[in-house]
Amino acid sequence: MPGPSFNIHRAYSVARKEVMHVLRDPFTLALALGLPVMLVTFFGYAIDFEVKNLSLAVSDMDNGPSSRRLLDIFSASGYFNVSAAGDPIRKVDAGEAAAALFIKPDFSRDLRRGKSVSAQFVLDGSDNSKAAVIMGYLPGLEAAADARLADYSPSPPVSLETRFLYNPELNSRWFTIPGLAAIIIGLLAIMLTAMTVAREWENGSMELLLSTPVRPLEIIVGKLAPYGVLVLTGVFFVYLASRLVFGVPFAGSHLLFLLACVLFIVAALAQGLFISVATRQQQVAMQLSMITGLLPSMLLSGFIFPVESMPPFFRYFTMLLPPRWFMEAARGIYLKGAGLRELAVPFLALTALSALMLALALKKFKTDLEP
Amino acid sequence: MNPSCALEVNGLSIKFGDFTAVDDVSFCVRKGEIFGFLGANGAGKTTTIRMLCGLLVPTSGTATVGGLGFGDGGKGIKRIVGYMSQKFTLYNDLTVGENLDFAAGLRKLDPAYAKKRRKELFALTGFDRPLSTMVRALPGGIKQELALSAAMLHDPEIIFLDEPTSGVAPAARARFWDLIRKVTALGKTVIVTTHYMDEAEQCGRIALMRTGRLIALGSPEELKASAFPGPMAELDFNGPPPEGFISGLRKARGLLELSPHGMRWHAAFSGGTEMDSALAGLPAGASRALIKPSLEDVFIRLVEGKER
Repeated sequence: MPGPSFNIHRAYSVARKEVMHVLRDPFTLALALGLPVMLVTFFGYAIDFEVKNLSLAVSDMDNGPSSRRLLDIFSASGYFNVSAAGDPIRKVDAGEAAAALFIKPDFSRDLRRGKSVSAQFVLDGSDNSKAAVIMGYLPGLEAAADARLADYSPSPPVSLETRFLYNPELNSRWFTIPGLAAIIIGLLAIMLTAMTVAREWENGSMELLLSTPVRPLEIIVGKLAPYGVLVLTGVFFVYLASRLVFGVPFAGSHLLFLLACVLFIVAALAQGLFISVATRQQQVAMQLSMITGLLPSMLLSGFIFPVESMPPFFRYFTMLLPPRWFMEAARGIYLKGAGLRELAVPFLALTALSALMLALALKKFKTDLEP
Repeated sequence: MNPSCALEVNGLSIKFGDFTAVDDVSFCVRKGEIFGFLGANGAGKTTTIRMLCGLLVPTSGTATVGGLGFGDGGKGIKRIVGYMSQKFTLYNDLTVGENLDFAAGLRKLDPAYAKKRRKELFALTGFDRPLSTMVRALPGGIKQELALSAAMLHDPEIIFLDEPTSGVAPAARARFWDLIRKVTALGKTVIVTTHYMDEAEQCGRIALMRTGRLIALGSPEELKASAFPGPMAELDFNGPPPEGFISGLRKARGLLELSPHGMRWHAAFSGGTEMDSALAGLPAGASRALIKPSLEDVFIRLVEGKER
């Protein structure tokens, strides 16, 4: 907390100088402006977590109106290209088909008589990420089948209450692009801060700063504020891209999203500050930022791998990481329109972790300065 | 406190854990004086200066700088002194104007006052390049002069310069020392550390430090007189000295110091009679000449001599 000796003019002088540094440093500028553009292009266009146009080998032994309608549902989903030629299992074995569907001879008749029916779905599990995605499609298809086949049945078949809420099209971009904000904050804020403060140590200018009446907190606020703004600009770019280019819906409160960003940015800036004070060298600070910044926000935040499907140790470990909570909050606000009440846990966790990070960084910074 | 002292230190010690960087040091720097710190690396010069700038708090002893103590952790002292550090001077990627504006901002100087000071200091240092010049483009000597201007922007009475001329060309070094003299002519007190003996000769008084202790203090002349009360001879053997002569001379009564200087040797004695008897056996072809001891001789005798 700024004490009574905190002077906003001195902090502003530090901030203004920092802006000059940024404007004259092509590397920082390129990183700050280029990274969001690169990430959005990369995850928006190149990497698609959706699996589409899979070939589905079918053995339709019924060949009745209901079985044909079931196949229609599969092909109309856009995920599958249905093909009835050849032995389905052999095609899956040969890698010519991603999955096979078997329909029993009495499928249509049983359905008409009001019996519950089933079809067998065989999946190539050797590519388990692909298999997981296909598995994810099944409940939706099943539900669609229940609804549409009901016309042919006097009593409706047992319907599965599975629906894809919030993202009915299962569009992976809707899920991915809001999460990019976490990567941008987690990497940029930590790395830029770590480098800028480490640079002052490395070239000895920290000593000169401290020989003036400027207070340590004024140095920190002045040095970090411009990078906070820079990172927020990157997040704003991602927001614009998500809305205008990819048409991701934004169901929640913008103010709440901004609050989540600010909390996460504070935690990230504090982490960067801590790294720079501990290393005091730009090179080491940069490497440490990559490891402690990029990896958690990329791999352990739920950005790529869902937290729920992690081994128990990592599932609990992610609770210590601000990016995990930010990711939860960001997606909740974007897609579900969740408010502070629904997101109480992520917001509380984010606030607590930010405060903890900041306290640690300030303590380390101050004890390192004072004899 | 002595009113003629710009700063005064009594029984000052600074410890880092078990290591004593500065050990029981006392001195007074007079107003308007050029006060030099001379010593090897790690002798405690920079630590002493950092403390006097308010960057370190003394472990024990008292220090008053410009009438202020360390009751507030050095904050008051930081306001009234100017400091130019050894390693860093100015930001290379900022312009001259931006660097000076930053220095003014850190000290909350009124913009009009900062501009007036800038003009005065540019006149003093003879700086005539545009404010938009990038510091990176300035020659080393000019950069140091500009750094001194930045350190003096708030018009401090006491200015600390930690090895201000290291890495600067000899001609620029001489120019910088002219500037230091101009600054003291304005009534300012300058405390400077240096490795160069020729620079130390230009100080009003010198504090000689070794392993955290103050081992001698005085004007260059006083230091020479106290280190070498008797005469000093320069011996020239026109080649390597005859075998055994140097080791014999080392045992001579009244010899204070014997050290090689290039091809020649400097021998200092406690008195004229001692010198004559010790050098009576000087081999043929060798010559001797009475010389005045240099500060380097003093340094060797007082600092390195004790380390042997």
